[in-house]
Parts: sequence; structure tokens; C-alpha cells
Amino acid sequence: MALTESTDPLLQEITGPTPGQMLRKRVFGHQGLLFGGIVLGILLLVAIFAPLLAPHDPYAQSLMTRMEPPVFLGGTWEHPLGTDHLGRDYLSRLIYGARVSLMIGVIAALISGVIGTAMGVAAGYFGGRVDMVVTFLINVRLAMPVVLVALAVVAILGGSLQVVIVVLGLLLWDRFAVVMRASTLQVRGREYVAAARAIGASTPRVILSEIMPNIANNLIVVVTLEMAHAILLEAALSFLGLGVQPPTPSWGLMVSEGKNMMLFEPWLVLIPGAVLFLLVLAINLMGDGLRDVTAPDNRS
Amino acid sequence: MKRSWLTSGLASVALIAAAGASWAEKANDTLRVAFTKELENVDSYFNSSREGVVLQRAVWDGLIYRDPVTNEYKGNLATSWEWIDDTTLELKLREGVTFHNGEPFNADDVVFTVNFVAKEESGVKTQRNVNWMKSAEKVDDYTVRILLKEKFPAAIEFLSGPVSMYPNEYYAEAGPSKMGLEPVGTGPYKVVSVTPGQHFVLEKNENYHDSPKGQPTITNIDIRTIPDVNTQMAELFSGSLDLIWQVPADQAEKLDEMGQFTVENESTMRVGYLSMDAAGRSGDTPFSDLKVRQAVNHAINRKELVDALLKGESQVVWTPCFPSQFGCIEEAATTYEYDPEKAKALLAEAGYPDGFTTEFYAYRNREYAEAIMSYLNAVGIEADFKFLQYSALRDLNMKGEVPLAFLTWGSYSINDASAMVSQFFKHGSLDDARDDQVLADLNVADSSTDPEVRIENYAKAIDRITSQAYWAPMFSYNTNYVFTKEVSYSPTPDEVLRFTTMTWN
Repeated sequence: MALTESTDPLLQEITGPTPGQMLRKRVFGHQGLLFGGIVLGILLLVAIFAPLLAPHDPYAQSLMTRMEPPVFLGGTWEHPLGTDHLGRDYLSRLIYGARVSLMIGVIAALISGVIGTAMGVAAGYFGGRVDMVVTFLINVRLAMPVVLVALAVVAILGGSLQVVIVVLGLLLWDRFAVVMRASTLQVRGREYVAAARAIGASTPRVILSEIMPNIANNLIVVVTLEMAHAILLEAALSFLGLGVQPPTPSWGLMVSEGKNMMLFEPWLVLIPGAVLFLLVLAINLMGDGLRDVTAPDNRS
Repeated sequence: MKRSWLTSGLASVALIAAAGASWAEKANDTLRVAFTKELENVDSYFNSSREGVVLQRAVWDGLIYRDPVTNEYKGNLATSWEWIDDTTLELKLREGVTFHNGEPFNADDVVFTVNFVAKEESGVKTQRNVNWMKSAEKVDDYTVRILLKEKFPAAIEFLSGPVSMYPNEYYAEAGPSKMGLEPVGTGPYKVVSVTPGQHFVLEKNENYHDSPKGQPTITNIDIRTIPDVNTQMAELFSGSLDLIWQVPADQAEKLDEMGQFTVENESTMRVGYLSMDAAGRSGDTPFSDLKVRQAVNHAINRKELVDALLKGESQVVWTPCFPSQFGCIEEAATTYEYDPEKAKALLAEAGYPDGFTTEFYAYRNREYAEAIMSYLNAVGIEADFKFLQYSALRDLNMKGEVPLAFLTWGSYSINDASAMVSQFFKHGSLDDARDDQVLADLNVADSSTDPEVRIENYAKAIDRITSQAYWAPMFSYNTNYVFTKEVSYSPTPDEVLRFTTMTWN
């Protein structure tokens, strides 16, 4: 520690830039990561501060001012993005819809991440019977088509935000398990793991402080992939009328509601569709970027 | 030589293909129509949808026919009829009519059809259409008597609507399932092929008798089920459909602005209403409280719904029936002005100052349902929205598991209040009110032959139903018919597509 804090030019020359500096350089040199991070950051802030940002109540219906066009198509600034088929402010619904999408993405990825990582790491680390059981469960899960199962479950339990989150969380753990198992298999034979075992570290300690940090970069990529996956699935379920129920604003639901007027008022579909695209793109770019900058092989 | 043969062959193939795409189907004398909903069974006694009524009127005939413009009853398969007494109707049948399969039409067919459909075990989907008949008996080959269970003044109206005549020999062998696949009737159009729920091809009946429906002029009718309105419109643009109907108001407005198509708007008998579980069939529900039901009635801005969403010929409806129906006395109905504050106050009086949450079911017009939900939300009634298929919702409703639903009823275009109010308030499986007083009034009204008595008792029933706010009647529907400029057609207010009155321009 003393070395890195030193300002001695000679020492600086010998040690080179600190890991922190190198990381910063890689982060700011990575355009995809920057773009993804900024877009995601903005959408996160929008979601958090939705009540402050939304110009109108997203539920306030005004049948006399239905389907007013957005400003860029000749509308007024009263409703910058126009109004929907019930005269509700489109911008406000879009802003509140960001909450739904992000909440579903984050929580569903969290639930499936915990399940999948626990199973994958256990399988990879212990091997043998544990591995057999986990591999079997992964196979079972992979044999089920996610959308169909989600549709069936939601149809039985009824669509609501909570149901959709839990269903997606319980369905999307397969990739976590597969990737974490493979990564754990790779690192469990490494010297530092053997060393930790040799000095008598307990199994939880070996997993948490030796294995996890070294497979975290893969985990990050899967988290972002699954987050994007969950957001898209929610939109698909809502589009089919089985996801978030009206009047809750959800981007998938907005696309579905605008669909009837698609031939005449395409912006009703384009606006929520574009935002959905942007969010998923941002998350994926950020995941890619995070892997690039944290992967050990890219550090040189 | 060989080469030129090949090229000319290819050229002609290309030409035929191009011509097929560009020629309007007027040249082939084929009118292409889209249905939105899947028709479960073409056999008209075993479906309960509008599409079924359209096919029924094209393929089969009733004994009597009501002119949709003048409302005058005319003989169709019967040429005259006479009441022998209150429960016996004698009809003289038209001679020389044959079914599409060549079977001659006579008294045996009428006796067979009536005896079959009147039996409850036969399972006719809408019992109300047929269960007023007891049986039929043959007097001679062209004279029959239809015996009623009790006095039923709307008999003529029903005989000119949903009761169509089937061929006895064919139906005895075929039954509803085969009749649904290879329908045989006496109507102006013969069925060429049926792909259940998807595709129906009809052909002009060259030997159609001299019926008040008029003679068909267009040779072929090709009907496809296309559930999505956008797809229907796209096909209309590309010229692969000639007529679409039940087009939502917003789209019809835009299509009209385009100027390439004829857009006709007609009112229909369909009434949209909220049904509330006043009898508490779905368990302990707030709707068993009169004040809550009144609150719901006050919460809905019917005028705004009609002006902004339904548009066209729609109107605000306060009665549990369509105002043009005989016995549907508008003055008898209690009206509830739009007053959300009053609705909130009523909810508070009923013990729900903060409102409550309820399941809310709907099966069509999702956007209307959402608008209604938003009105309810505004007074504190939070809706847990369930959007189901019609048959699924009907099943739930019959089991009494629906606390609040947005429903509609088209009365099978029968211009008599009994087709709606008596359908729902006589303690049947769809009755969520179960009011004995209403039942008593309706029993008198349904069975009296004196128009004065009928009107008086329907008025009493309507007064009771609306003052008890069992329903929140809201609006009547309209239908937009959009067709190419090559087609000429004047829609009628009963929401039935009449192929016989369609012609090419």
C-alpha cells in the first residue's frame, strides 16, 4: 500500500500505473461500456425520479383528447409525446413504464442469479453427485420453453407485476447455472485454490474469497444478458395481455395498446418500442464492456 | 421452335399470375369478406356469435321474415300463419322449395326441426331462442301447427329470427357436428366448403325460392377469419378483401378520410353494460350493497364514452335492453348522472370510504374496458382486470364467479325486450340479480298477448332493475362497414350482413 501511495517518480516508473488507474483507463476507453452505462444511468434516474419528472398523472384519462400526436408530428408541448388511446399522457406513461421494466429486469435477474449461481458453483466445486443432480436440473429446465411456461403459469395465476417477476426469476436461472458451473470447474484446480485449501480455509471461505472473485466477470455478463432477457420477456407477456395488467404502464403493454392503430398512428408503437430497444441495447453493451474491462486476459 | 414455345409458355404463366393479383375479384364474381372472431360451429343452433347469425341468414331460412327496414313480417318458408288459440300457431308452407341437397321442403322438416330444437336435451346453445316452443305437428304436407308451452307474444319475431328450418332426413343422420361442416339449408347461398373457424365459401343458390330476402346476385362469397383488424385493413388496401365490418371507430374514421373506400355506420341492437353480482353468488362481495351499485352507476361517464370512443350511431342507454325493442320503455329506467363525488359519497355510506378492490372481467373491446376501469378507479374501486375469451367468461358467469363484468348483448337482433331483459333476469344461470319481483313482472310480460299488459310489466321490471342498479347499462354499439367502391351495400340496423342485398357497382 505504501508503494502505491508514494509520489516518488522513480517508484512510479518502476511500478507503472496502479491497477485502479489502469481500470479507469480501460473503462473510459471503452465506448460501448460508456454508452451503455450512460443510457442505463439516465433510465435508472428517470425510473427513480418518475413522480418528479412525469408532467402528468400517467393514469389520468381524458377521452376528449385521445391520440394527440407528439410534438415532432405536429402536437403541442402540453403532451410532448402525445396521448394514448384513452387520452393519457404518453411521456408520463413512458417514464412510469421505465420503473416497471427496470424493476422486473433487476429483480428477476437477481432471483435467477442467486438460484443459478448457487447451483452452478456447487456443481462445479463439489462435482460428483452434486454435479449430476444440478446437470439434471439444468437439462430439465432447458427442456422447458420459457415463454410457454411463463404464459401457462401467468394464465393460471393471473397476470400482475409480482407474478411476472417471480415467474421470470424462477425460469431464467439456467444460463447462470451453466456458466457458473463451467467457470468454477476451470478455477477450482488452480494453485491459489489448492493453496487456500492447504492452509485450512473452510469451504465457504474458499468459494467466497477464492473462486467467486475469479468468476465474477462471467457472472456480470450473464446478469446483464438475463436482465435484458427478462425485460424483453415482460414486454412480450404484457403485449400478449398476460403480463402486467392495465392500467399499470408497461412498455410492452403500450406497444400492444398502440398496435390497433399501427397503420395510422405508428408512433404509438414506435415510441415505446424504441425505448425498449434502447434499454436492452444499453444493458447488453454495458455487459459486454464490463466483461472486456474486468476479464483477467484483457488486463495486459 | 422449342425455345419460343417455352418462352411463350412462361410469359403466359406470368401473365396469368399478374392478372390474378391485379384483377379485382369482381371479375370472378367473388366477394371476399373477413370475420374477426372464430365461429365455433356453423350449425346456427350451436353457436351464439354474430358471425353465426350472418351465416344462418345466408344458408337457412326461417318460416317468417321481418323486413329490416319496415319491420313488417312477411312469409318466407311459410306463406301465411294464424293463431288457432293462444298457444297454437298454424302455418301454411310454401310449396316447391328444395334444400341445397335436393331434399324437398315440407311439413315433415318443420315438425322435425321444431321437435328437435325445443327439446332441452338437444343442447341448443341459446335456449331462450327455442324453449318457448313445445312441439310441432303436421296437419298435411304443407300445413303445420307449432304448439307453445305458454302464451308467447314474441313468437313471430323469434320465428323470423333465430329459428331456421333444417332438412329432416339429412339432419337426422348428420347431427349438429356434420351440419356444422357440410351445412344444408334452403337459403340464398349454398355452402361449398367449411374449414371450421377459418374459411367459409358460399355459392349462389340458383334455385332460390321467391323469398322476401331477395335473390342473390353475387355468385361467390369467400369468408376468412382474420382476427387482427390491422391485417384486415392491410388486405383491404392490397385488394385481397372487398368488405370488412365491425371496424373499430378510430380506424373507420381514418379509412373514411382516405376516400378510397365506402364507410357506412349503422347502429346495432348490441348494448354494453356492467353486470354486478348483486345476489352475492361469487361470495361476499360489495356489490350486494345497493349503494355500491348506485356508486358504480354514478361513476361512469356514459356520454364521454359514446362521444369519444364508440362514436357513430351509438347512444347512451339506461335500460337493460335496446330502446327500439318492443317493451323497452326508456321512461321507466332510473338514470344516474355522471357524478364521481356522489359515487364516492355512496361508497363511503356503504362502508367503503377508501374504496375496495374487485375482479373485473371483460371479453371484448379492451379499450372500452380500460376506460371504464379508469372511471371506477377514480372513485376508489380498484379493478383487478381479467380479459377472457367469450366462452370462458360465459362459463365463469354461469358458475356465478364473476363479481363485476363488462358485458354486451346483441339480442340476436330480435326486436323485442324479452330477447334481452328476460334472457338475464329470470333466475337463469346468468342472472346475478335473482330478484323475485322482476321475475314475476317478466313472467307476466313474456306470456301476455295484450301489448298494453306487456308494456306495463316490462316497464315495471325495467324500473325495478334500474332503481336497484343491478346493472349499469351504458351504451349501444354501432358497426362500421368498410368496403371497396366496387361493392354496393346498405347495412341495416340489426348487425346482419345480408349477402343477398350486396351487388357490384
